[in-house]
Amino acid sequence: MILASRNIWDTRIQCVYSIVLGQEGTQIDAWACGNYGQVTLDPPRIIINPNRLYPIEGILRRTRRFSLNVMPAGALEEVLRFMRLRRREPRKTELMQWRLDEAHGVPYLPDALKTVFCEIEEILDTGDHTVMISRVAESRAHEAHAGEPPLMSREVFGGGMAPFQRQFRKILVKSGVLDAARAVWQKRRPPPSADIAETTYCTGGQTEDEVRQVLSYGGFDYSRGLRPPPSPHKPCRAVGVCVVGTHWGAFHCQLVRNANRSAHLFVCGRDRERTERLARSVNADDCFIGMDAAARDPRVEAVVLAVPAHQHRSATEICLQAGKHVLVEKPIATTLEDADAMIEQSHRFGRTLMVAEDMHYRPPISLVRKHIDAGDIGEPLHLLMHTGGINRPQGWAADRSRLGGGVFMDIGVHYVRAMRLLMGEPDTVSAFPAMQINTKMTGEDGLSAVFGSRYGWQAHLLATWSSNFGILPDIVVMGDSGTFHLWPRKPYVDYYPASPRLATRLVSYIRPYSLQARLTRPWFQRIRLRSGKDGTGYIAEMRAFLASVAEDQPAATPPEDARRDLEIVMAVYSASVSGSPTSIPQIQIG
Amino acid sequence: MWVSVAQSSYTHQLILETGRFSFIALHERQSDIALACGTESGFTRDKCALLDLSLHEDNFLYLKGALASTACRVRTSKLVGDHTLFIADLLSGEMETRATVYRQLLLSDIQDL
Repeated sequence: MILASRNIWDTRIQCVYSIVLGQEGTQIDAWACGNYGQVTLDPPRIIINPNRLYPIEGILRRTRRFSLNVMPAGALEEVLRFMRLRRREPRKTELMQWRLDEAHGVPYLPDALKTVFCEIEEILDTGDHTVMISRVAESRAHEAHAGEPPLMSREVFGGGMAPFQRQFRKILVKSGVLDAARAVWQKRRPPPSADIAETTYCTGGQTEDEVRQVLSYGGFDYSRGLRPPPSPHKPCRAVGVCVVGTHWGAFHCQLVRNANRSAHLFVCGRDRERTERLARSVNADDCFIGMDAAARDPRVEAVVLAVPAHQHRSATEICLQAGKHVLVEKPIATTLEDADAMIEQSHRFGRTLMVAEDMHYRPPISLVRKHIDAGDIGEPLHLLMHTGGINRPQGWAADRSRLGGGVFMDIGVHYVRAMRLLMGEPDTVSAFPAMQINTKMTGEDGLSAVFGSRYGWQAHLLATWSSNFGILPDIVVMGDSGTFHLWPRKPYVDYYPASPRLATRLVSYIRPYSLQARLTRPWFQRIRLRSGKDGTGYIAEMRAFLASVAEDQPAATPPEDARRDLEIVMAVYSASVSGSPTSIPQIQIG
Repeated sequence: MWVSVAQSSYTHQLILETGRFSFIALHERQSDIALACGTESGFTRDKCALLDLSLHEDNFLYLKGALASTACRVRTSKLVGDHTLFIADLLSGEMETRATVYRQLLLSDIQDL
């Protein structure tokens, strides 16, 4: 059967698959290239023509050298993983075993079938792609794959069919069944007239204005600096740890027990009766009345501070000066000056200072971040987060002067960390307080913030003590290729790919539309992914702290990360007061 | 799309004269056609007479049984050493569905013969 070509890919121009690598400074980028070719034989020259939207185009334009690595057929799986990465991912080459060739000054793939090192002689601007005429400096065959056939672009762009799928399709094609089915289908629904230029433009082409628009958000997305840590291991020995505070401190006692059963646990409080009761209930080795007593005791190596926020600095300083390692509750402090002083003291006394930010260790966050990095949601665009519920804080937690703010400082700070892990560092924020319901609270009891990034993503965070959300995911991450739902305290995440899954596709063929609408279910699109047994990061966080103490290693989460969270919360409050978008101080990412 | 053609070839002369060409993608079982077209000059022999060509709109020639045939009009050209680089617009094309089970013919397939 003869079919009209509908776009440039129907012309079968893309042939042998290769990966082009270029480097500018410390930035290495890779690009899947299927349409290179020889242009002269003597001297040998080839042409590549990268899309101007790809950041490698700029790198090659400026450095004028690259390696073209012809991939072997056996590399299909690795190549498919590479192809899922988004265009703006700055760490594409982390997936690859690349090496720098000193002679040519460019990275290359030693696992390729063949590498061609090239120097660009001439660049021709040809619309949304750039033709680069390049002289071959060296062509190097890698013996590990000698005799292996090259990987063909159609294998890669076809999504990597399994061998049985390929055989099945071959039978359908050769027997004419596929053509017959196509003929019947086309009789019912004649295809639109083929227009190669228009269809190619709509599928993958850009005008000058479109190129400018896309590149205005940056060729690479450098916003993600912070990464979830690997799962912490159990401490190698029993640590003497004292929990200070008998309210939220009781929860920390349980965490210490769960994180390290053999830990020597101590409890410290102001109220003797309450402190002794807690010590008995958690089977503590001993208890102290007043923090000075705990700080003096040589059995105590580390202290967990579950005290009011305005006491974080003074309590931390007492412990650090006494040579204890400190895990302090969030927020790190109520002012940036206090946070800086605490960090300075931890460096001066050479002791660990870590802030209890469970979000950093929440396994679903780590899982979703891996999927974002793998390109499974495409370009991350929106983050929706909400936290809180109906609650009436009492005492210091209801007092702005002692908490440093209201609900946003209290629990919004956790989600600031979630935003930094999932999307990256924001550049601006607008914030809007809601009507104050709890007028006994001097801090705000409801606030929405909208964060923006120069790299094009946005994050919405709503924190409230005055309304209930019902049963909803607390974090939703949306990209142009998929969406993730993260549920509070659940050890799984729900993934909704943007492309329709089989059940969705089948139902879409049902007519009339009213019946189709009745049969459609949102969960047809849902893929539930398990992230382990624990849906929270509490135990992992405590384990990380105790392990750093036991092994005398720096904390997996330095206090500077918590200081940055506080800085962002402070910017939210500035924006809330000013009523206009506010810039967030920039930090070095790398 | 672009093609690079040796200036000494007859094809080069024809493309320069007409500003148009057909681009045919051969599949792995068509090495005989590639050999016939690539080992002799068009100045000395009418190579097209050997091929199963068909005439399409605007007098473009397509090859029956190929992976794909595409009509191209030259937009710009550039001398690169002893070759000329023709950058062309794709006007129209067609593909043979039964040939899609084959991959493209590679130069190495012919060298192996």
